Amino acid sequence: MRKSQMIAIKKVAAVVVSSAIILTACGGENASSGVYDANSKAEISWLNILHTASPPTDTVLNKLEEKTNSDITFSWIPDASKEERINTALASDSLADIVTLTLLDNSSVRNALKSGMFWEVEPYLKDYPNLAKIPPETIKSASIGGKLYGVPFQKDLARNGVTLRKDWLDKLGLEVPKTTDELMEVAKAFTEKDPDGNGVDDTTGFVDRNDLVYGAFKTLSSYFGTPNNWQVSEDGKMTPEFMTEGYMKTMNYMKDLYDKGYINKDFAVTAKTDQQQKFAQGKAGIYVGALFDSKNLLNMSKGVQDKMELVMANDITSTGNESDRAIWAANNGIGGLLSFPRSEVKDEAELKRILKFVNDLLDEDSYALMTYGIKGTHYTVDDKDAATITNTDLWQQEVQPFAASRPKESGFKIHDADPLKQMADKMIADNANYAVLNPAYALESETYNTQGSELQKMITDATYKYILGEIDANGFNQAIESWKSAGGSSIISEYEASYKATQS
Amino acid sequence: MILPGFLYFVIFKYLPMGGLIISFQDYQPYLGIADSPWVGFKHFIRLFTEPTFFMLLSNTLILFALNIVIFFPMPIILALMLNEVRHRYFKNAIQTIIYIPHFMSWVIIVSITYVFLTVDGGVINEMLAALGFQKISFLTSPEWLRTMYMAQIIWKELGWSTIIYLAAITVVDTQLYEAAEMDGAGRLRKTWHVTLPAIRPVIITLLILKIGTTLDLGFEHMYLLLNSLNREVAEIFDTYIYTAGLKNGQLSFSTAVGLFKGLVGLVLIMMANKLAKKFGEDGVY
Repeated sequence: MRKSQMIAIKKVAAVVVSSAIILTACGGENASSGVYDANSKAEISWLNILHTASPPTDTVLNKLEEKTNSDITFSWIPDASKEERINTALASDSLADIVTLTLLDNSSVRNALKSGMFWEVEPYLKDYPNLAKIPPETIKSASIGGKLYGVPFQKDLARNGVTLRKDWLDKLGLEVPKTTDELMEVAKAFTEKDPDGNGVDDTTGFVDRNDLVYGAFKTLSSYFGTPNNWQVSEDGKMTPEFMTEGYMKTMNYMKDLYDKGYINKDFAVTAKTDQQQKFAQGKAGIYVGALFDSKNLLNMSKGVQDKMELVMANDITSTGNESDRAIWAANNGIGGLLSFPRSEVKDEAELKRILKFVNDLLDEDSYALMTYGIKGTHYTVDDKDAATITNTDLWQQEVQPFAASRPKESGFKIHDADPLKQMADKMIADNANYAVLNPAYALESETYNTQGSELQKMITDATYKYILGEIDANGFNQAIESWKSAGGSSIISEYEASYKATQS
Repeated sequence: MILPGFLYFVIFKYLPMGGLIISFQDYQPYLGIADSPWVGFKHFIRLFTEPTFFMLLSNTLILFALNIVIFFPMPIILALMLNEVRHRYFKNAIQTIIYIPHFMSWVIIVSITYVFLTVDGGVINEMLAALGFQKISFLTSPEWLRTMYMAQIIWKELGWSTIIYLAAITVVDTQLYEAAEMDGAGRLRKTWHVTLPAIRPVIITLLILKIGTTLDLGFEHMYLLLNSLNREVAEIFDTYIYTAGLKNGQLSFSTAVGLFKGLVGLVLIMMANKLAKKFGEDGVY
């Protein structure tokens, strides 16, 4: 490159860099400093994920601010676009005092955490009663390279299961299935025996969506003994789930469902909302997903399918042996991190004040506020701490959006009075005993960080194609081979090395 | 007077180009451009050696070719046909009606398509079934993807694209038509020998401009159509940049892909311009 060109490029670069600096400087730096005073009112900005269609109104927020002695400003990121929005926020350093990071295996999030962009919080946790109670396993799973860069969201380990139409089962004289074969029988009967009795062939067994993880596939695969993402042998050999027998069995099962028409034909392009609508409209009788979805499904069916009764199953196996019970654990029970960027939280004093705020959020009262709302306005509670939502519309508007902001979502005295929700909670608690963890969750692989999700697409695509009959077992094995050669082999060896390092 | 325009281009068009530098770095936001490590052509090498590259390139080029060969002539033909409509109010009404789809977002158009084409009770498939045909899974078959894509573009943009040709036609000198009539030309002849040559420069200019935006096939549109089963024909540079870059946070890599895409576009527009000049037209620069 000629010298003059070089100089020109340097000049351009200088202009770009300096304008970037000017832009970030304009980004509203909080000039808050000083000593940590536990009783001072905290000014907190929070970059948070929104799972509902619109952000909450101020009603509950005001109460929450009162409770935690703070002034909270939310910046909401819709769940559907969280990946790009969080990445852009990280890239442009436009963060807030608290940033909700849910995708800990996203490479830019991981790199940002490892780079020291956020405060390391583990040494401080012991000073706060609620934070001190976070179990050590949770801290271990949520750590990256042995360091905890935020307060982990404590989620239930495994919340998935099967929801079925009880009224249909009763009408056809069927039992709640215990094995995958029985589940297939139910699917067959729901499809062929006109369970809604309208004389038209308009029902299917399963209704599924375009998601191999949170849809039916992964939960069914647990029933066939498939590991959760990775399997590690005693001598430290790692095998991805799609190279196991269980995965193949699950694909064959789904293929069977598809070929025989026991599942909605377009499940590969069906969105979650459409899936739930279809179930609520009585087009299908088997829903695989989070167990607590059953309450929503029943609510959605009001006025359309008034006879709907639901029953849940979480103990299905492929063999019928209780000892084979298993259910995959989403992210090993970590819902992400509440993390505190150093660019916003300037000093230790500020960090301590914010940690106190998070600690307050973990109180029973805060939990009740963020789950049920304000007593008398949104819900009533009986003397056994069972809460009933009195105004569902208002609750959906003002309270529901907060649900995803709760740092912990079970283990409180107050509970839902709805029998279906109680049942779901009990089953989810029960699931924890059979949860299959992902052994690679806390491991490091550079190839996975950079190309992991591109590589995963190859497998996901091949899985769909196999189920829809476009490729056979040979074709699927070819997909595995190309996965290996495109970088999969490196992921395996990097994980093995990382696993070895953590064992010794 | 030129200052505001000049500043606009400097601030919003030229300064951001400096950001292309990050395609030669392992850019990490908290380090910034100044401190991120330089990696040379690493990201370009990765792009060219990844198995997806040829898939991306061929998908993009095929769709581009379809756009040029099928879609590009359509508004010209439509404009010529509209020009023959003598009833003014009728003509205006048609014009207004065919503009409307342009104002709908891709989300709406693709959703409508889904409702029509789904196998689970979609109107088209129900009709096929009623007529005794097999149902077709339009949404998940790679074979139907391009047809669907083109049909949606035609439906949405055809009317809107005629505007400029209609405008060009209105300025054609009426004396030419009169002269042609004296020579005994019919309507078809007049269209062929007067109208078409008169709007030829406009056609050429628009063609070159269209080629310049070659590889911009509409991210939103394709992203909505893309799924696991049609990826082999539906994944294009635009969608790949989004998933590999923004969603996975590989900013440097996706910048490299974007830069490559831009260079291909530049080469194509230069070629087209040269070709236009060779055939005695003005070109765009």
